[in-house]
Amino acid sequence: MTMIHKAPWFWAWVAAIAAFCATWSLSAGGAGGTALAVAALTFGSFSVMTGLGQMLVITMGPGNTDLSIPATMTLAATLSLKLMGGMTGSAGLIVLAGLVSALAIGAGVGVANFALIRLLRIPPIIATLSASFLYQSLAIWSNRGLRIKPPQVLADFTTGRALLGIPNLAWVALIISFGFWVLLNQSGFGRRISAIGQNPRAARLAGVPTARVSATTYVICAIMAGLTGFLLACFSGGAALNMGAEFLLMSIAVTVIGGSSIAGGNSNVPGIWAGALFMYLIVSMLNSYGLGAGVRLLSTGIIIIAIVAAASGRKARL
Amino acid sequence: MTCKGLLLTATTIGLLLGTQTMADTADKKIALSNNYAGNSWRQAMLESWKRVTDKAVADGAVASADAFTTAENQATEQAAQIQNMILQGYDAIVVNAASPTALNGAIKEACDAGITVVSFDGIVTEPCAWRVKVDFVKMGRDEVEYLAKRLPEGGNLLEIRGLAGVSVDDEIHAGIEEGVKANANFKIVGSVNGDWAQDVAQKAVAGILPSLPEIAAVVTQGGDGYGAAQAFAAAGRPTPIIIMGNRQDELKWWGEQRDANQYETMSTSIAPGVSTLAFWVAQQILDGQDVPKELTVPFLSVTQDTLDQALKDTPEGGVTNVDYSQDDAKKVIAGSK
Repeated sequence: MTMIHKAPWFWAWVAAIAAFCATWSLSAGGAGGTALAVAALTFGSFSVMTGLGQMLVITMGPGNTDLSIPATMTLAATLSLKLMGGMTGSAGLIVLAGLVSALAIGAGVGVANFALIRLLRIPPIIATLSASFLYQSLAIWSNRGLRIKPPQVLADFTTGRALLGIPNLAWVALIISFGFWVLLNQSGFGRRISAIGQNPRAARLAGVPTARVSATTYVICAIMAGLTGFLLACFSGGAALNMGAEFLLMSIAVTVIGGSSIAGGNSNVPGIWAGALFMYLIVSMLNSYGLGAGVRLLSTGIIIIAIVAAASGRKARL
Repeated sequence: MTCKGLLLTATTIGLLLGTQTMADTADKKIALSNNYAGNSWRQAMLESWKRVTDKAVADGAVASADAFTTAENQATEQAAQIQNMILQGYDAIVVNAASPTALNGAIKEACDAGITVVSFDGIVTEPCAWRVKVDFVKMGRDEVEYLAKRLPEGGNLLEIRGLAGVSVDDEIHAGIEEGVKANANFKIVGSVNGDWAQDVAQKAVAGILPSLPEIAAVVTQGGDGYGAAQAFAAAGRPTPIIIMGNRQDELKWWGEQRDANQYETMSTSIAPGVSTLAFWVAQQILDGQDVPKELTVPFLSVTQDTLDQALKDTPEGGVTNVDYSQDDAKKVIAGSK
């Protein structure tokens, strides 16, 4: 662990902790620390969950980015909440139906995205962007933007803190993150994704089934978007048509800030958490210091560049 | 046809003209150019448009009233859309613009082609177009005036702003600042951007709350009140007076709080149905009426007394709305002269 400062996610964690301390120092008597940590963990969880999916896609190398995340979130949330809103019966069954439908919509979207990329040979960015218009239109068409309240049990779960005072959402994100860590670092699938990102031609010649790996990756990313949309809608009291908007850039930002290579082939899970917490805390910090929106955006940009530069500078010297 | 029959027909037509005064625009085509449809307010706006214009077409007030929405909320895309409308030969274009200035070129082209252009909500600065405006500065000022009545001793305010860089956000903010200047015992101790979306507002408020002293009231711009209430509840803080913005979830929460602990506040926003007012204004201009270029619409406010009615009229998960009629448009036009 002596090399911890050389880990790609090191500087992101330093920045996140610094932003936390800077905001905390403003709260009267230090009492706000817990509230801030809870808020950061709660809202960071959504960024983590979309970021993990995006990270896998980005790992597959240049040109691989899923731009349909916001629309997928909106579509999955709108349809699953509509389904749950119309159901009667036991709460467990309703929740299960909602969750399964959100995941299934995610999977469907992932398959559709990959079909466009593979069968029609459209570059991923164009394919996912144009498909996202379709998903967004479906969401608008299905419910005209009316908010349907989630079942009470789901609203309570997503806003609750059942274990150790840590938000339930953060536990969910943590468990999923562990799954992604195993997938990326311990499984053959993870190595194949990295291999494709490092050199697709070499990977194919070495016998990596690139089409299948890439299809699975897009499906996983879309399922994560569907799940995040479902949880976010339950958390905030209903699906909104613009609910996913900020997660397009957020999912890419947390991947890059966390030290994963935007050129692909090299990713890490701890960095996603650092990036997500940092992105939340930096806005809280600048808000708390009373800076206007213009200064806030400017400082966020400069700080992100500094972190990425610091992280990549370390790598260059290795 | 006999002489008498002709006379009778003429009288009937004359009577019809007298009651409807619409015959002059019966062959006119009006188009709606809309820059964005991705939230519940815009959906309600489009539904209002459809409801009112379908009836207007059926009644023979106009020949057609088609709505077009651009996909990406981009000024360039909307400019191209307006140029297409010019080529398609519409008589009037009602526009909710992506930018107050970037569409001016396309708007001018439309005017030069003899097309009546009426902008609303997102208005354009091009002088040849009509503007159905909301006095957003007054909306901000009114919020603070209301709070001054409720809290004579003043207190700390948290301001939730809209989308940074949009003129509506600047105007409401300016009004709030004016109000605070006039009522010196109020102080804005924190300001966040809620982007008029309640989950974004909730997120931003939850992040700034730990560093804030006790908050007496929250001034908002609409669509963000429920999120703010959730953030206060999650932080375990007492609920301040939160100005609401006519969303159904906001009104419902307000009603629940009122029943539980006599919670009092107000709610104000611009009604999505303002699109239908702009439609009737366009119809009136095509009809040859003398209409001033600047028209001001009142905002739609919900008070403690009208809360129950508003809750009843607002669809589950929607926005409090009102469809304007031709008479409303005439009244607004007369009032602005």
